[in-house]
Amino acid sequence: MKPDELDRVLLREAEIVPSSGFAGSVMAAVRSEATAPPPIPFPWLRALPGLAACGVAIALTLMDAFRSPVRESASAATPTLTQWLDGVVPLLERAQMFGAGWVLLGLLLTAAGLKLTWRLAGGRV
Amino acid sequence: MDAREDQEDVDRVLAGDISAFERIVHRWQGPLVNLAYRFCRDRSRAEDMAQEAFLRAYRGLKGWRKDAAFSTWIFAIATNCYRSELRRIPEGNLPLDNIGSVLDLIAESTEWNDGDRDRAIRRAVSALPVKYKEVMVLFYFHEMDVSAAARSLGLPEGTVKARLSRGRKILREKLPRFLGEFRLEEVQ
Repeated sequence: MKPDELDRVLLREAEIVPSSGFAGSVMAAVRSEATAPPPIPFPWLRALPGLAACGVAIALTLMDAFRSPVRESASAATPTLTQWLDGVVPLLERAQMFGAGWVLLGLLLTAAGLKLTWRLAGGRV
Repeated sequence: MDAREDQEDVDRVLAGDISAFERIVHRWQGPLVNLAYRFCRDRSRAEDMAQEAFLRAYRGLKGWRKDAAFSTWIFAIATNCYRSELRRIPEGNLPLDNIGSVLDLIAESTEWNDGDRDRAIRRAVSALPVKYKEVMVLFYFHEMDVSAAARSLGLPEGTVKARLSRGRKILREKLPRFLGEFRLEEVQ
């Protein structure tokens, strides 16, 4: 196909005329948008103490979990895989005690739910 | 289109006079609805898409830097809006592989006319992979102005040229028989 043949066909496209109510419908949407109350902002001030408490709790748990293995392996000059596993196993046991598996599952489900919602809304949220 | 009128109306809207936006809508409804129609080939959906583009433009009026033309800015918003809308709900089209055979059927028919051929070629463009289709739509919408198409798509001109060339090549590969008949018809 010669390019100009394609050009001729694709350039010669009939214009469509918007329906008579189109501008009115756009303006109704714009006015509704203009008069809508602004979106409620996330209450960071109220959430801050809770978030801070969570952060502190996580930090304390991690410090507590790491303290004993670090102390035990401090004497070893080059930690082997067995020593490393010895250090990790108590950490996992402790995490299990606090229900970390459930927390992880909950977080994953929340992330999946958010992703699905975002996808269904076409990224317009 | 008068750029000064656009600027004055934008200033009025930003000062709180929403009715000034109506003049913007009246000036731009034709181009925006037509561009949407070339993307989706459905009149009713084209109006819905254009309405969404106007709403996005209204929300983003403050973001229009006046160093760029209002037309460039509003086409970029509309193009972006139409691309994401079509990614969300794709246009119902024949797969590109089937387009060639449909066109061959038309070409074999003794009663096909230029209108059939033009519609068929437009359908073939619609069935192109999205990145080639959008470049071709914008290129012809802007009357073969590569830089205008590139600005609307937010892509470098080189990328637009490369995609345009690839899109044309795909069409050539998919429509040889039909276009062979077309050439013969033209020679006679």
